[in-house]
Amino acid sequence: MEESGVWPPLKWPAKVTEVPKEIFVREDIYQEELRRIFWGKEWFPIAHESEIPNVNDFKTCSLGEVPLIVVRDRDGIVRAHFNACTHRGAQLETAPFGNKRMFECPYHRWSFNPNGALVGCPIRPGDAAGFDKANYGLKGPRTELLHGLVFVTLNEEAPSLSEFMTGLEGQLANVMRGDGKLKLLGYHKSLLEANWKTYHDNDAYHAPLLHTAFRLLNWQGGRGKQFANDRGHRGFISEISVPDGKDVLSDPSLIEFRGGNEKDGSCSIHLFPLFVGIRHLDTIGLRFVNPRGVNQTELVYAYFGREEDDAEMLKHRVRQSSNLLGPCGMVSMEDAAVFHRIHIGSRTPGMQEFQKGVTDPYELPRDFNQNDESPNVLSWEYYRKVMGFEKEARV
Amino acid sequence: MSGGSSLALDKIDRLQAEYIDALDRKRMGDWLNTFSSAGSYICQTLESVQAGWDIALILDDCRGRLEDRVKFVEKIWAGTFQDYQTRHFAQRITCGERESGIFDVRSNFSVAFTRCDTGQTGVLATGVYEDVVDLNGSTAQFISKRAVIDAPFLPHYIVYPL
Repeated sequence: MEESGVWPPLKWPAKVTEVPKEIFVREDIYQEELRRIFWGKEWFPIAHESEIPNVNDFKTCSLGEVPLIVVRDRDGIVRAHFNACTHRGAQLETAPFGNKRMFECPYHRWSFNPNGALVGCPIRPGDAAGFDKANYGLKGPRTELLHGLVFVTLNEEAPSLSEFMTGLEGQLANVMRGDGKLKLLGYHKSLLEANWKTYHDNDAYHAPLLHTAFRLLNWQGGRGKQFANDRGHRGFISEISVPDGKDVLSDPSLIEFRGGNEKDGSCSIHLFPLFVGIRHLDTIGLRFVNPRGVNQTELVYAYFGREEDDAEMLKHRVRQSSNLLGPCGMVSMEDAAVFHRIHIGSRTPGMQEFQKGVTDPYELPRDFNQNDESPNVLSWEYYRKVMGFEKEARV
Repeated sequence: MSGGSSLALDKIDRLQAEYIDALDRKRMGDWLNTFSSAGSYICQTLESVQAGWDIALILDDCRGRLEDRVKFVEKIWAGTFQDYQTRHFAQRITCGERESGIFDVRSNFSVAFTRCDTGQTGVLATGVYEDVVDLNGSTAQFISKRAVIDAPFLPHYIVYPL
């Protein structure tokens, strides 16, 4: 483990139940995270291929502070390029999404096709000895797809995606209701006034306590389980207790469950460091998250239907996605509020505490109940190792 | 540029004023009363509208949804968020009578918000109201109201409709 170079040095507590609050607000730690995590040996989902279904469709995004273009080329292959001209480095595309046969840099009119090849530049033969357009195509991160989800890594030494996702391929498919054949419904986009790790750390413990609608609608009536692994990934599968909502809602049709088996009516996958996929009732959501500095986090909720959905089902998914989730959602608006409070509170000394589901404060937990916060402990242990924070001796 | 008689325009402007006053005073019952019994309220980003996506930030497409919005703001969410004070500003841009007593109205709007936790004022949203207003009853009411906001990224969570 390469020792962390942050200053002043940070000693990680011996108890697995404790996480230092200062990691959420220290600029030097954020810079170290960019180096060790975002340029590290992790894979980052940045899009689903159904967001760019047609040839020449593209989407722009960032990974850490690196701008990217995801594009479907003329052969139907999904590619990720660095969003910068190979000439003088100007950002190539500014639109969030669209369809283009060519990406042209306005500075000196160098242009690239969706494959990334440099196909035009106003340079005459002889201007630069040995200049060959073939050497100036767009570069990009390693890219792989799993169930249509586009993963990239900036690190050539990162393990294979299959190793990164060991044991979780089925859960990812389950979130998408079987496979990656999705249809994009649209987005909610918001900025959280919180460090990116606060979003990743959101736990199952809070759901029935913070989100009063969960209690009122008796959404915690079903049984469920959580899982977590040593790579920092986690998730849950929950039976859904489908309420009729008549006691609470004037329009209970909003919370109808039309999606099939109630035994796994709700499930999620949280991939270290930042991606979250959640299926709840009939919503299918992939959440693309990215830091904007130490104090702000960009959150893009992308909502999907299934390719085989009829018009009525798509309309139902749109109603549920629009009203249940996102920055105005019936069962998620409060998250953004409490994340900001955590961020403010993180400027006080001491530790965040993890208790629910942790049976031994010095041992990593392995068994998890539906509303435990203990799965997060494994994510923090992985984070600690990646960041090179030495652990204090057990007293 | 507007169509409609001065009396009709006066009624439409008063309805808009009642709407924004209800929101700025956090009187959700009064907000609800600006809509007809078949009224709807939708808040979408311009990005969604231009892309043809139906996903909305708020999609209250029937009376029951409007009533549930009131219940969530006043009761269910109470105590779970840091409150803020809004000031809405609306300016009618176009108005046309689509059929007798039914008007299509388009107004620019901006919403400033002052956060109770920081004490600072900022811009929560700017955009356009696309309204269908019914002047046939004893009071003017919205048949539909769509708030299309300019920014794809919300700077803050939204508790109250815009």
